[in-house]
Amino acid sequence: MNERELDLQLIQRIQNGEQQAFSLLVRKYQTRVANILTRYVRSTGDIPDVSQEVFIKVYRSLPNFRGDSAFYTWLFRITVNTAKNYLTSQSRRPPASDIDADEADSYDGSGALKDEDNPEAILHSQEVKRVILDTINNLPDELKSAITLRELEGMSYDEIAQIEGCPIGTVRSRIFRAREAIDKQLKPLLEN
Amino acid sequence: MKEYAQDLSSLIDNELDEETVINEILEDAELQQQFSRYQLMGDVMRDESNGFDLRIDVTDSVMAAIANEVQKDNVVPLASKVKPANNVVPFMKRFGQYAIAASVAGVVVVSSLMVNQNSVTDPSVTPVLSTVPFGGAAAPVSLQVAPSSTKDEIKEQNERLEALLKDHQLQLQIQP
Repeated sequence: MNERELDLQLIQRIQNGEQQAFSLLVRKYQTRVANILTRYVRSTGDIPDVSQEVFIKVYRSLPNFRGDSAFYTWLFRITVNTAKNYLTSQSRRPPASDIDADEADSYDGSGALKDEDNPEAILHSQEVKRVILDTINNLPDELKSAITLRELEGMSYDEIAQIEGCPIGTVRSRIFRAREAIDKQLKPLLEN
Repeated sequence: MKEYAQDLSSLIDNELDEETVINEILEDAELQQQFSRYQLMGDVMRDESNGFDLRIDVTDSVMAAIANEVQKDNVVPLASKVKPANNVVPFMKRFGQYAIAASVAGVVVVSSLMVNQNSVTDPSVTPVLSTVPFGGAAAPVSLQVAPSSTKDEIKEQNERLEALLKDHQLQLQIQP
């Protein structure tokens, strides 16, 4: 199963009236949506509100989603349109150059933000990143390699198994153990 | 929960296609939180989390807003239930009533004109209801006609009136 199939599975559940399935789509994509919004929304304080608006629009439009394009491409378009509408409502002009769905994932939006951002939030976010990256660096090599090949290179378990020379079940277990180790450090940080 | 944690990890990597795992996650709040944190790890590793507060999770607020919206959609105002499905029938009904009234009026006017044209007036036959006064002509009540009587006639009328008055006074004196 690829990413598109999982999304479609969740969308089918929502279209069949299982409203709660939408929460998994929100959890899955909210960071990426916020990352796109930093390109348009100048104040980080507004990002949660605009993100919420994006997902509500997505939910309303889901009955019309036919799956011709990937869900993320569709979500990306709605995010950009909502951000532009937000700028218009704030009497600001959208940025001169748009970004494509392909560029959005790698776009570094931090440069677009102003100094009015909450310094405490920035410090906290930096702390979250530091904890995640430090924990990965301190993982045993086989766990670090497995999680890196999966998350950064986007390889399947089968491809990782071939590179690492181990069964798929071992890859599955290594990636899970790596995530578990990071989660142990991350969970208290987010709860506080 | 622990037994599904590894399945959750595989599901995020699109390496698991089991409806039961999705069902389990949807029923378990802690698994859902874990799903969010696992996603965040990948987003941070791919550097997709710049410039905003990573503590913010809009899931609950989005789901609350959606639930609220669905509730509003389900509540249909009573007035709208009473309203007819469309206004075509009442309009046609009213239009039909006007059409019947107009055609009846038209028939009455045409038939009365035809009756007046064809009737032959026989002066020897007295109609049941005669609208012509016995005097031969009717004068409008409000029309003021200029007096056509002469001075002598006026004098004669005055004398007659005086005589009537005298007679009236005499009768009053005779009565006990």
